[in-house]
Amino acid sequence: MRYFIRRFLFFLLTLWTAVTLNFIIPRLEPGDPAEDIVRRLAGQNKPIDPAQLHAIRLMLGIPGGNIFQQYIDYLNLLFHGQFGVSYTYFPYPVTTLIGQSIMWTVGLVLTTNIIGFIAGNLLGAFAAWKRNSIFDSFVSVGLSFVGTLPYMWIALVLLFIFAFQLQLLPMGGGFSETSTRQMSWGYTLDIMQHALLPALSILITGPIGWIMGMRNNMVQTLREDYTRLAIAKGLKPWKVALLYSARNAILPNVTGFAMSLGGIMGGVVLVESIFNYPGMGRLFFEAVGNRDYPLMQTILLFTIVGMLLANLLADFVVGLLDPRVRKGKN
Amino acid sequence: MALLEVENLDVTYATKQRPPLFAVRNVNFELNAGEFVGLVGESGSGKSTLGNAILKLLLPPGRITAGSVRFEGKELTTLPDEELRQMRWRDFSTVFQSSMNSLNPVTRIEAQFQDVMAEKSDLSNSQIHDRIGELLQMVKIDPSFMRYYPHELSGGMKQRVALALALALKPKLVILDEPTTGLDVLVQKEIMHNLRTLQREQGFAVLLISHDLGTVLEVSDRVLVMYAGEMVEDAPTHGMLKHPIHPYTHGLLGSYADPAAEEVEISYIPGRPPDLTRVPKACPYAPRCPEAIPLCRQAKPQLLPMWDGKAACHVAQMQWNDEQHNHTRHSEEGPKLLDAAFSEATSHKAMKLEGEEVLRVENVSKTYQRRAGFKTTSMNAVNDVSFNLRSGKVTGLVGQSGSGKTTIARMITGTEYPTSGAIWFGETRVDKLKGRGIHNYRKHVQYVFQDPFSALNPVHTIQYLLMRPLMNYGKLNAAQARQKVRELLETVGLTPAEQFETKMAHQLSGGQRQRVVVARALAPDPDIIIADEPISMLDVSIRAEILQLLDKLVRERKIAMLYITHDLLSARLLSDEILVLNQGHVVEQGAAKTVIRQPTNEYTQLLLEAIPRLERPDHVRASYVPTAEPTKVQVDASPVSEE
Ligand code: SF4
Repeated sequence: MRYFIRRFLFFLLTLWTAVTLNFIIPRLEPGDPAEDIVRRLAGQNKPIDPAQLHAIRLMLGIPGGNIFQQYIDYLNLLFHGQFGVSYTYFPYPVTTLIGQSIMWTVGLVLTTNIIGFIAGNLLGAFAAWKRNSIFDSFVSVGLSFVGTLPYMWIALVLLFIFAFQLQLLPMGGGFSETSTRQMSWGYTLDIMQHALLPALSILITGPIGWIMGMRNNMVQTLREDYTRLAIAKGLKPWKVALLYSARNAILPNVTGFAMSLGGIMGGVVLVESIFNYPGMGRLFFEAVGNRDYPLMQTILLFTIVGMLLANLLADFVVGLLDPRVRKGKN
Repeated sequence: MALLEVENLDVTYATKQRPPLFAVRNVNFELNAGEFVGLVGESGSGKSTLGNAILKLLLPPGRITAGSVRFEGKELTTLPDEELRQMRWRDFSTVFQSSMNSLNPVTRIEAQFQDVMAEKSDLSNSQIHDRIGELLQMVKIDPSFMRYYPHELSGGMKQRVALALALALKPKLVILDEPTTGLDVLVQKEIMHNLRTLQREQGFAVLLISHDLGTVLEVSDRVLVMYAGEMVEDAPTHGMLKHPIHPYTHGLLGSYADPAAEEVEISYIPGRPPDLTRVPKACPYAPRCPEAIPLCRQAKPQLLPMWDGKAACHVAQMQWNDEQHNHTRHSEEGPKLLDAAFSEATSHKAMKLEGEEVLRVENVSKTYQRRAGFKTTSMNAVNDVSFNLRSGKVTGLVGQSGSGKTTIARMITGTEYPTSGAIWFGETRVDKLKGRGIHNYRKHVQYVFQDPFSALNPVHTIQYLLMRPLMNYGKLNAAQARQKVRELLETVGLTPAEQFETKMAHQLSGGQRQRVVVARALAPDPDIIIADEPISMLDVSIRAEILQLLDKLVRERKIAMLYITHDLLSARLLSDEILVLNQGHVVEQGAAKTVIRQPTNEYTQLLLEAIPRLERPDHVRASYVPTAEPTKVQVDASPVSEE
């Protein structure tokens, strides 16, 4: 139990650090968003009218006062779920924009990543169990080759073949422009069709790491005495493979999965830009392009909180799976 | 029909990258129901491979390449996997080497019994639960421990759990592979005793695989001896004790002695086992055998019956034939064999040097504070210990793991500070040294570690490894250092030095590596050497050789040595003074011979009793010729190896 409480306290501490960094970092960046907007409105080389600038500042709610006051205000607003107004999609609040896109991302990226993780581990375990078989050599050699291909290339090839040449699937977007956007079978099917290509692209590259990792770990655990003892006991082969060997081999992968979530945002941006998918990644991409600080900051914050939660969850799962972690370090 | 019959068995490790290793060659033996048989050999002799081959648990690329293994007449080598799986654990089970790793770390003890018992017996779940409790009690573990995870048990307990697990389905044969290696002597003794009692009660057959002939001889009915992948002797225990037939067995027996005897000597076997990628066409033991005759290098001896057992040796066979014809010697006597020995008498201890004091440990104690949450518990690792180290003398520190012997060593090297008491090196207070002072002091105190395999950095040549301390402490330039390295290598018996200095550690045998470690300790020309279990990881047959080397160096170079060990025999042989430590307290202290011959403390007596007592036959001792003038003894440390 102590282990779980400790992990949770640690989570709170990191969360606070992240929130604070999220406050500090944008303020260190050069450039003034209000000036940018005025410039965009007025045209590039015209002189800036200070009154106009002031008006824009007020409109956007760009914080004033000293840095501590700003920090207090920031925390206060966070606490009340107010993240400000988007500069780009003025006057929509940031939360509305995120609310519209978050489900797309969670639905696509998170699901495919989890499926990829599970499938990857199963395939890796199978390859290790049948090591030196044809399947194993295909996995070891074939996948490390596929793994070297850039994700972008794979995604574009998929688009080219299935959307452009065969015209089986849509080129991009999350749904058809013509759809009713009401809950119905037709709409669900439409969403599925749009999600298929991006999902496929993630599922081709995503599990490779897990497959290779699992295979290598399990080739190790298969040689461990406890696995050999399980074989000596004459247990059914699937029990030896899953309950002894794979059960121990998966532990590093679970931690690895939590870590990989750290890098997931970059992947999301890439996927959603290529497939023009209306999710958080694309929103973030736009936010960065437009210096939309509130939006950027909020997306980052959401990502970080999501990551931390995932890490906490992974810690808990590892704790459940491995009794040594629970007690060992005390 | 015997329970287990192994016939002409060959096991080969073949990979594409390296030449095949012929690990087990043409092995024949039988094992009867209810018999307790020991299988002995040095590391690399193929004994574990043989055990795994019988169980069909060889790790790839190991493969049975010829021969047969029959269990109750059923041929295991060709049996379909599914049928073999059905036999497993019900017919034969196994215990692996000191179960550090043989219990699944992520499930409870109970579950590891449960899965196999549920699958292979008709017991209901509650019956299984009761039976697990019984099994644990059988190995003297409280049934409540079944709720624990493996990492919550001590090494000895894990090993006993593994034993209980092996007996879960009342098998007919249990194969134990080094079941007690790495455990404390007293725990070892207890487990072996437990095993033997259970075996007598339940009547299962045992194949006990071990490197330790002493332990095996104590518990087994019959002993098989393997050397370099071949079976060289197969004889009943009482016969082997009285008259080992094969010279190798004889040599191994020479490493044992009763430390409490009036005079103690042990012998070693010079050289190292052959490379098994090339199958020896002659007797594989010939390069190390003191008895070898030309025939030995031409033809391979067969494992033939002689005296009361079997052996593969030309000379023994000729003596046996002779005897059959002429009746010159009584057949009870076995063959006449030669010996290379290290004894207290030949050790330089006899020189009676009055060593001057180099280091004084005064009433030293060490308490560790352990914090768990907000509670602090303190543990007395070392309690009021006093002794001194004298130049040219060896002080033996004897104790089990956890006795505080390593903590004392660490305090002497200045890596840890005593909680109270003082350590004097001449005029220097060691326990007050810091930073630069420590660095300067360490030049005088060197360490020889237990494990020669991890003590040497694998990516550097021997020359580099030895030059570093020379240039670091001795302020020599590279050329001088290189010259000095040669001298050092010659000193520790690695001759010719040129051959060794360019090698990497992994290209050397265990004994050679330990010599390099010793050479490195000698490099800064220290006043004190701390040798922490320097022989415990080495093969039995070469331990005496390293002891002899240490002895020679200490006496010749007037080094003060702290010899840390759990082994009373080597302590008796090497040390002038002995301290016996139990849980941080010195329970006995005095001249080596007195402490061991007349122990006053119960704990020392326990330790002494735990040592396998082998009665060595008279003719073995007779082959050793004591030198009249001990000071002139040529302590020959050179017969290291042929590559
Ligand atoms: S055959 Fe020859 S070399 Fe081999 S053990 Fe016998 S005497 Fe020694």
